[in-house]
Amino acid sequence: MGRKVVWRDAISSDRRNGAWRYLSLCSLSSPDFVCRYVKILLVDDDPIARSIHSMLLHLQGHEVIEAADGELAWRLVEEGEISFVVSDWMMPNLAGVDLCRRIRSAEFDRYVYVILCTSKGAKSDLIEGMDAGADDFLVKPISPEELRVKVRAGGRVLSLQQGLADRNRELATINSQLQAAHKLVEDDLKAAAWMQQRLLPQPALHARGLRCEWRLEPSGYIAGDIFNLFPLGESETGFYLLDVCGHGVPAAMMSVTLSMVLTPDATHGSPLKRYNSATGHFDIRSPEDAVHELNRRFQFKDDRYFTMIYGVFDAYSSTLRFAQAGHPSPILMKRGEKPAVLGEGGMPVGLWPKIEFDCFEVDVNPGDRLLLYSDGVTESLNGDGETYGEGRLLAYLTQHPLHSMDDMLEGLMEEIGSWRAGSDFTDDLSLLAIEVTEDGIV
Amino acid sequence: MQFEESTVNGIVVVKVLEARIVADIAPQFKARLIEYVNKGNRKIILDLSAVAFIDSSGLGALIGSLKAMGNDGELALCGATDAVVNMFKLTRMNKVFRLFANQEEAAAALA
Repeated sequence: MGRKVVWRDAISSDRRNGAWRYLSLCSLSSPDFVCRYVKILLVDDDPIARSIHSMLLHLQGHEVIEAADGELAWRLVEEGEISFVVSDWMMPNLAGVDLCRRIRSAEFDRYVYVILCTSKGAKSDLIEGMDAGADDFLVKPISPEELRVKVRAGGRVLSLQQGLADRNRELATINSQLQAAHKLVEDDLKAAAWMQQRLLPQPALHARGLRCEWRLEPSGYIAGDIFNLFPLGESETGFYLLDVCGHGVPAAMMSVTLSMVLTPDATHGSPLKRYNSATGHFDIRSPEDAVHELNRRFQFKDDRYFTMIYGVFDAYSSTLRFAQAGHPSPILMKRGEKPAVLGEGGMPVGLWPKIEFDCFEVDVNPGDRLLLYSDGVTESLNGDGETYGEGRLLAYLTQHPLHSMDDMLEGLMEEIGSWRAGSDFTDDLSLLAIEVTEDGIV
Repeated sequence: MQFEESTVNGIVVVKVLEARIVADIAPQFKARLIEYVNKGNRKIILDLSAVAFIDSSGLGALIGSLKAMGNDGELALCGATDAVVNMFKLTRMNKVFRLFANQEEAAAALA
């Protein structure tokens, strides 16, 4: 049932009774008399007209708030809760059309539906009213039927608008929940990235005759590429760079697992050493033996795998020995010679119990360098979809032979960065440069 | 993920119409190939002549499909471009997969 609220303007019982009689003739017989409930602000300076219209609206099931002029009406709209205004045009203080303009220029968080009532219904009035933002018009004297259908139409518009506003609010809530969830995931990834960084060698790490510099650029926060360099025995230093197939979290988790396993600490069953029962000591496995052992331990039974270069530098014999399991060939830069590609490949680790791969040994001298890298380097795409390739990598190294290792890697990263500019290619990118130092040869 | 399906001498031939088999389409690629296996195809020829590039994830998808075929199935590849052949050589997958120049040669070998 509708409620009638009288605001600042009492309506006498005589007038009310008159209106009841008027209404009983024109409106009560309507089949859809009870229409959707709307709270309406009725604005009219003529108390008689206002009281009739108010009664009509009340009988049609609406809640009515009355105002005797535009300024009073404006204050009520401003206070909130009013979304439907039926206003007379000609009024003291603030005319209906100006009230309408003021409502439109205000930035309310709700839509206010405005019907203007004119006494003449002239075309120029309609145009001015529409310009002012009126939604509909009623021509005085107002027929109860017209009032009923126009208020009902306005009610429909408001209810659609309300539905939309509710949906928007719901979406905003979901959106903020998503943002919170995203931040949680992002924070986790940042923490994982920090932990992964801590597994990498210190910059300019120097270990038993080898010095290394590196760069790692994950495609996301964390990488499937990982590498390290560590003392292995009295005269041996081990190093590796590996790339777990795919990228993102699954690849990164595997790369971290592998980095924990690939340590010289034999007490944890390192695959890099083997217990010699005759001597009671742990012998250092050759690179090929170590990679076979890794392959034995990491049989994934699906299509996961990783590629790697594992090498051992022996300071006594001044040799570097590597195994190349499915990984791009390393580049050897001997002092005074052109950079050369070593090895032709081999099967990746983890796919089959028996794998074959290249193994090779080179003699080295102080100042000689070796560059290990992941396929993200050579497979980097430019804007035309062309890969960077081994040829360009070799050309760069040939053209910049005298740079320090750090400068060499910095220059390479810049070159690859500008190669990639304009393409959306994403893969982990890693570079590990190793140099034999003066104290490296015993 | 676009495939073109045909038959040569009664053997199903799947031509890959993607220029790049890389990480973002690899899972779908593998799922589609395994569908062929699950439909009971024991012999499949995969035509890679339109594929200009395959990365490690793409290779993983191929290996996954090969493993899904099991011992009684046969998967033959044909028409691999230079970049794809180089990838197979680097990873020695040319010793695991059977590579042929074209569909006819592959079909003759599987017959």
